[in-house]
This record gives sequence, C-alpha cells and structure tokens, in this order.
Amino acid sequence: MKTFEEKWTAWLDGQLSGRELTEFEASLPDKAAAEAEKAEAKKLGVLLKREIGAQTLMNEEFFSHQLRERIARETAGSSRESGGRRIEVSTWWTIRRLLWTGTASLAVFLVFAIFVMRDKNPAEQSQYLTQILNARVDPVVSPNATISMFEAKEGRVTVLWTEGLQSLPSDYAAK
Amino acid sequence: MGRSLALVAAFTALIMSASPKLQGAETVWSGLVIAENVAQPQPIPLELTRIEGSLKKLFGYNQFQVIGQSRKLLTTGQEDWLATSKFFGLHVDARGESEAGYVLNLKLYKEKELLLETDAKLSKRSPLVIKGPQVGSGQLLLILVVQ
Repeated sequence: MKTFEEKWTAWLDGQLSGRELTEFEASLPDKAAAEAEKAEAKKLGVLLKREIGAQTLMNEEFFSHQLRERIARETAGSSRESGGRRIEVSTWWTIRRLLWTGTASLAVFLVFAIFVMRDKNPAEQSQYLTQILNARVDPVVSPNATISMFEAKEGRVTVLWTEGLQSLPSDYAAK
Repeated sequence: MGRSLALVAAFTALIMSASPKLQGAETVWSGLVIAENVAQPQPIPLELTRIEGSLKKLFGYNQFQVIGQSRKLLTTGQEDWLATSKFFGLHVDARGESEAGYVLNLKLYKEKELLLETDAKLSKRSPLVIKGPQVGSGQLLLILVVQ
C-alpha cells in the first residue's frame, strides 16, 4: 500500500496511470494548486538537467583528455617490474616507511636511554672520580683511629681522611 | 629496510665505542709528602701543582714537601712498586685495570710497621690523597696521581 507521499512523488514524475491516477487526483484537496506545483517541479527538473548534466566534450578537450589518460597509464606501467610484480608508486612518507622510521627512532631513543641511565645510576660513583673501596688501620697501633672518605669537587680530588693515628716526632719527616 | 637496520646497528656501535675507557700505558706518580706551615714556604712540587688549591684548602698548610716518591709506568695494570722516605714506605700493588681506572692496594708502613691499608680505584682524572699521621708540626700525606 503506497503512502500519500509516494503517490505524490510518482504523480509529480508522471508515473501514475489508470485507476491509480484517477483515484489519486480525486483525493487531492486542491487540484489546481497541485497541478501548479507539478509544473514548477518539472521546470526545476529541466533547469537542473541543463545546468549540471554531462557536457559534451569538444574535439580539443577530448584529445587532451585521451592524452592525459595515456600518459597516466604509461607512467603507471613503468613502475611495474619485468616479472609482473607491482611496485607501489609512492612518496617517501608511506605508511610502511612511517612505521619503519618510527621503529628506528624508538630503537635509537632506547639505546640513548639505556646509556644515559647506566651513567646516571646513583648507586655508582662517577667513573671519572677515584673510588676508595675500603680502608683499615692497625687497631693495635692506633686504637682510636677513624677513617672517612670524601671527594673535593675542586680538582676532583678523592680524600681518605684519617683521625687519631699515632703522632710521630718531626724526625720522621726526614727524606 | 636492510639499510635502515644497518644504520641503526652502526649508530649503536658508534655509541658503544664512544664510552670512555682507559687505554694504553699510564704513569702513576706516588708521593710521600709532608705538609706544614712555615714562614717562607717552598714552591709546590711540579707533580702537585694541579691540586695545589685543593691541598691548601683541605689541609690548611702552606708548604708541601716531597720526602719520598716513585713514578711507575703501568702497562699491564698488574705492577707493584714502593715509594719510600727514611722512615716511611708506601707499597702500591696494582691489581688490574677497569673502566673506572686502576685497582690498587696501598699499604703505608712506618719502618716495618703497617699503619694503614686501603684499596682504591684510581682514576686518570682524579688524584687520591690520604691523610697520614701527624709528624712533628706537620702532616704526612700520601698522594697518587695518574699522569
């Protein structure tokens, strides 16, 4: 069962006939107004067809079009391998190359990160400074001796500082 | 793709080779030094000029006199040597070379008596200074410098 809108559209397009046409026109409340609207629609259709319809190509345009198509075909043909495998005609930043570039960048970043983190490991002293691994004094000779160690930033000097070692007379300063 | 991988590999190798390492033979100067305050101080020995400021600031003395010294060329990193004065002896035993420097065992003797022993990694860029016993009005210092 067609709705009124469907019948209306079909009537405007001249698709109704016979009993269906008679019944539809009889159901119209104002047939004159409907006829005027149908005429307007037809005029609009003609106008649209004329303005946006396919234009017939002139001879020069047709020749130019054919030439462009042939050049495009030949360019595409030259990008095929002799064995028939197709090579993509592409610019540098294809999706595949973007992926590879991203992966390579990530790899370089990770290499840098590993090296920097290894160098910055706070648990280790800088390898440019002398490190004192351990120190001991004879507890019998110097029972109250204490040992500490530090680095003087000026001159990058590493110092092993002892206190309480047995003092000696000045004779011991002899060469 | 192959070129990209080769480039990444070459770059990685370049970075790894750029990491600092001690290479080749180095000379280690080891000295027994008496630091004291005197009215007319002698000029500081040549071996200590680069740390003169640090020594004066740390210990507060104006004269640093070498009473015993030794200069040793390390080729294998396994050498040992002795720096001596009349009463003191500093025995240095190199126990290998690492990225950080030379691993050394140091022993300070007063005549035949062991006063102090320490193990250290001596870096080329960082001298080691050990504060020894008080001697008269001065201070005995043990100093090691890679030259």
